[in-house]
Amino acid sequence: MTLAPLRAAARSHRQRPVGLAPTESPVDGAVLVLHDVTKAYPNGNVALRDVDLVVPEGDFVFLVGPSGAGKSTLIKLIIRDEIATTGAVILDGQDLARLARRQVPKVRRKIGIIFQDFKLLPTKTVRENVAFALEVTGTPSREIGPAVDRVLALVGLTAQARQLPGTLSGGEQQRTAIARALVHDPRMIIADEPTGNLDPLISWEILQLLLRINELGVTVLMATHNAEIVTALRKRVVALEDGRIIRDEEAAAYHRED
Amino acid sequence: MISFVVFSLRRAWQGFWRNAVMSLAATATMVFMLLLLSGFFVVLTGLNAGLEFVEQKVEIVADVKDGAPTLAIEAVQARVAAMPEVASVEYVNATEALRRFQERLKQQGREDLTTALDKNPLPGSLQVKLKDPKVFGNVVESLRADPSIERVQEVKNLIDRVLTVTNLLRTGGVLVLALVGIVVLFIIVNTIRLAVVARAEEIEIMRLVGASDAFIRWPFIFEGALVGLIGAAITLGLLALGAEPLGRVMTGFFEVLPLQLGALGRDLTIIVVATGVGLGVLGSWVSVRSYLLK
Repeated sequence: MTLAPLRAAARSHRQRPVGLAPTESPVDGAVLVLHDVTKAYPNGNVALRDVDLVVPEGDFVFLVGPSGAGKSTLIKLIIRDEIATTGAVILDGQDLARLARRQVPKVRRKIGIIFQDFKLLPTKTVRENVAFALEVTGTPSREIGPAVDRVLALVGLTAQARQLPGTLSGGEQQRTAIARALVHDPRMIIADEPTGNLDPLISWEILQLLLRINELGVTVLMATHNAEIVTALRKRVVALEDGRIIRDEEAAAYHRED
Repeated sequence: MISFVVFSLRRAWQGFWRNAVMSLAATATMVFMLLLLSGFFVVLTGLNAGLEFVEQKVEIVADVKDGAPTLAIEAVQARVAAMPEVASVEYVNATEALRRFQERLKQQGREDLTTALDKNPLPGSLQVKLKDPKVFGNVVESLRADPSIERVQEVKNLIDRVLTVTNLLRTGGVLVLALVGIVVLFIIVNTIRLAVVARAEEIEIMRLVGASDAFIRWPFIFEGALVGLIGAAITLGLLALGAEPLGRVMTGFFEVLPLQLGALGRDLTIIVVATGVGLGVLGSWVSVRSYLLK
């Protein structure tokens, strides 16, 4: 199983918007660059301060830190649900602050996002939930079927394709969400506490799946409180506290090791 | 483009039925409001027809001098009929005037005492209908100056008073219709808003997977139009069912009035369908807008 044909197929009909030349990236080969980013909300609450972060293509990054440290704000900036107050957020070479409003959907298709609460539509089957992401972005219907079949096979849900989310286990629901995030062939997967609602065994299954997707070349950024998983996997760890990055280490543990 | 429209229509249809309770609530509200609107429209049209009827009755009556030669009368008739303000001039001779008077008495069931008279007391008269009851020109003056005319009945004041009342009623009717329209607009927009809010999660997911605004907006707009269209169809059905028994009761009334039922039905159909679809689309547009502005 490989994502390569999927990516090639998606690239071939994906065109770079006219008049929107990619901004010069400060770091070559980086999918995501945050440069000196500060985010202050209108109520005066400063959620992020002077954040610098470079995520190279193919990286696997754990984003850790206590609640309120700014993890959610960071994710909102990356999917351009919010715009940085100062500094630049550059995704795949495009400065999100300088993006025209109607270009936003196109940039979002470069990211697959997964949530703690899955966010599946309860009235649609597994297959329909995954296909939905392609339908609402105007993918020709003849391309939808094969693409959905491929990602369902990748996450191991081919047998459950016709079931409604309500009849699935938590792990199966999260795998449906992962399939939906992958079906656009994104450059990057952002997972916001994907194991928060799952028991330890199922959490490990989800992690195995994310690692496999990462091996296929998709960059993964995962915000989590799960210390056991972070420490065991020895991946890159970015720790936020009070809106600042207090630690950014390769092959690290959940807590600082001195 | 075609696949986009097909997609939007299909999603609108699915959305309508997957959210059947909310959709039917919105449709029912739509039907009630359209019925209310139609009722007001019919009443207003009836009122208008009644007013026109009254206004048409207004005419200038010029009594002819007893013994005036027929030729002279015909000359006046032709002269007045040629004036630009005049719609028609009818000559009612004394015999005809008496006959009409007797007929009216009989209709009202009163005793006919005219047979006791030895001669006809009524004068012949010219009955002048104006094109516009407000524009007299110098019709009255011209008639007064003619030697074969005995007198011109003073109708100007009466006409002015009738027109004041009818104009007041017309303005009032349009005002009430506008008020009802605004109330209907708010209720429909709010009902559709509830249906859209129930699908907030779906809209959020669409945004997250990178759906463009058009893909999010148009299915809802079509769904709103569908609510309007179904609402309008049900309303017209109910009106058609109600029209027959109502028509039977009102036949006498409508026969007197210069009211064309065919034209009324056509106008009503256009108004109901246009209002239903328009309100449905507007309601969806306003409701989805707040989700897209982020």
